[in-house]
Amino acid sequence: MRTATLQKSDLDRVIDLLSQADYRVIAPQNQPRLEGPDSIDVATFQEVQPGDSHNIGEGLSTTGIKPFLFPKDEPLFAYENRGKKVVLTEVSLDFPKTVILGVRPCDVASVSSLDAVFSDKNAGFNDELFTKRLEKTTFVSYSCTEPDVSCFCTSVGLAPDSDKGSDLHMTELPDGTLHVEVKTEAGEKIAAVIDSLLSGEGDAVARQQAGVVAAEKITRLRDSASLLPWLQDLNNFGDEMWQRLGEKCLGCGACTFECPTCHCFDIVDENSGNKGYRVKFWDSCQFDHFTLHASGHNTRNSQFERYRNRFNCKFKIYEDVFGEKGCVGCGRCIRGCPVNLDITEYMAEVAQKATTSAS
Amino acid sequence: MSNIYQPDLMTIKKVINETPDTKTFHLIFQDEELQENFEFVTGQFGEYSCFGAGESTFCIASSPTRKGYIECCFRKTGKVTNALFDLSEGDTIGFRGPFGNTFPIEEWEGKNVIFVGGGIALPPLRSVIWNLLDLRDKYKDISIVYGARSVADLVYKHEIAEWEERDDVNMVKTVDPGGETDDWDGHVGFVPHVLENEFKPDPENTIVVVCGPPIMIKFTFEALERLGFKQDQLITTLENRMKCGLGKCGRCNIGSTYVCIDGPVFKAAEIDLLPPEY
Repeated sequence: MRTATLQKSDLDRVIDLLSQADYRVIAPQNQPRLEGPDSIDVATFQEVQPGDSHNIGEGLSTTGIKPFLFPKDEPLFAYENRGKKVVLTEVSLDFPKTVILGVRPCDVASVSSLDAVFSDKNAGFNDELFTKRLEKTTFVSYSCTEPDVSCFCTSVGLAPDSDKGSDLHMTELPDGTLHVEVKTEAGEKIAAVIDSLLSGEGDAVARQQAGVVAAEKITRLRDSASLLPWLQDLNNFGDEMWQRLGEKCLGCGACTFECPTCHCFDIVDENSGNKGYRVKFWDSCQFDHFTLHASGHNTRNSQFERYRNRFNCKFKIYEDVFGEKGCVGCGRCIRGCPVNLDITEYMAEVAQKATTSAS
Repeated sequence: MSNIYQPDLMTIKKVINETPDTKTFHLIFQDEELQENFEFVTGQFGEYSCFGAGESTFCIASSPTRKGYIECCFRKTGKVTNALFDLSEGDTIGFRGPFGNTFPIEEWEGKNVIFVGGGIALPPLRSVIWNLLDLRDKYKDISIVYGARSVADLVYKHEIAEWEERDDVNMVKTVDPGGETDDWDGHVGFVPHVLENEFKPDPENTIVVVCGPPIMIKFTFEALERLGFKQDQLITTLENRMKCGLGKCGRCNIGSTYVCIDGPVFKAAEIDLLPPEY
């Protein structure tokens, strides 16, 4: 498919043109984290309008794009209790045509993992709140040129310049221009909208080289290939490592909320008088009540068991059940952990145990 | 219905007080077409809701051979079950389902079947018990070993009496030591103990279906193995906490096995392959 060159300084114009073409544009934007003079700016994905600031291609966002496909809370339907009768009102599944601009390769790769959970690929049940949003969403990804110390995408089969899941992929070259690659029909439509800003065929060689240079900056390299067979061996479920490493975990759930592939949710009624909404909202397998039975029995009763479940979900359950990667190596669980619990330490230890047991 | 989380509405046609804290609801769908066409297989479960309180997971406690209604049986324990407990005949509840796998009753044809249950775990067995009794000719001896903490905690007392009356059912009932009353005519002792030492079933051509809390399943399987039963003769259900029932909310998994999709019915050999998180 088509390749071309785009000037980085024209990204503002890209937002203008996409907005004019009736796309809702989501892009990383720096915003003050707190009020007051001590606040530092953090980048999160926000809806942007023409003229708004953005930091596409600059740094890494603290949170990913998950809320735009799987919001942290959303009504499933409304109910009204009328005496002995109940009236239910469906929610709209008409979502706006959206482009997510400047999404990093790890985040866009996570979309197929979420899709494997929420779409009818999973046991035939289609969560249309997710899939209808996804149908309306186009992903314009942007290679990482400056991965940070927590990044480990190259340990899970991805790279700073991966285009998995992307509709239109951009890579910043050393001369400041962007090499643009159209990957899908949805990407073609974006290219058509911004056609006046595109020129030539880009520079495939420089783009390749930029990816190589970026990958070399990733220092955290772990073997993930040996994890699955070791985790699939039931004898290793009781390995002493789990308790030793997991003792540190506070169970705060920060890793799960920042994780692009964590998909656990709760369903509750938000009631006001005789009416309300049944709401689906993010939950965490790290919380102690998550698996608590009505009887008081808890299937994952201690924190290390809950951490063990999360690690298994990332590197075994996702692959066994959903046929997709459960970890995209974005590093957010490392950056966001208040006690510096590092998933790659587990990966390294499992890999070492797997090698030892294999030899 | 395009929204997999939106329940169908059902009317509570009848409420049966089973114990001081346990009720049965007899339910029919409000949508006539659904009421006409609804089908399920024994072993499956549903998500039952009281609007304003939320949803809870229970089995379908009636038999698919009894058309035109479903029943559920629940103990008031948390927010949702307390709210459901307060509803009365004519009130509306929500239902999503049927979900999950089923009891392989065709595989049991021509065999003896023993049902072993404890406490509030009789409802899932009751569905399959009536299913087999309604197809009585296809099965050999049918036995039910059921116990609860006390006489007051036994559910389906009227049906236990009915099963005792029938000459084609062996009904063995027990209560935990201290739970008996002066006029109690059943056994006194924990279910696995009564099963192993009083009932002493013969493993020959026999299937055993066990429902109960995890600790009861463990002790019952051990007792049955001492009696000579092999793993492929033993069936149980697992009841992990659920929200969606659709394999998405991430709550009921035991390693890579989702109780809502792969269960709730499991063979003993399948349980042995699971990590101990049930």
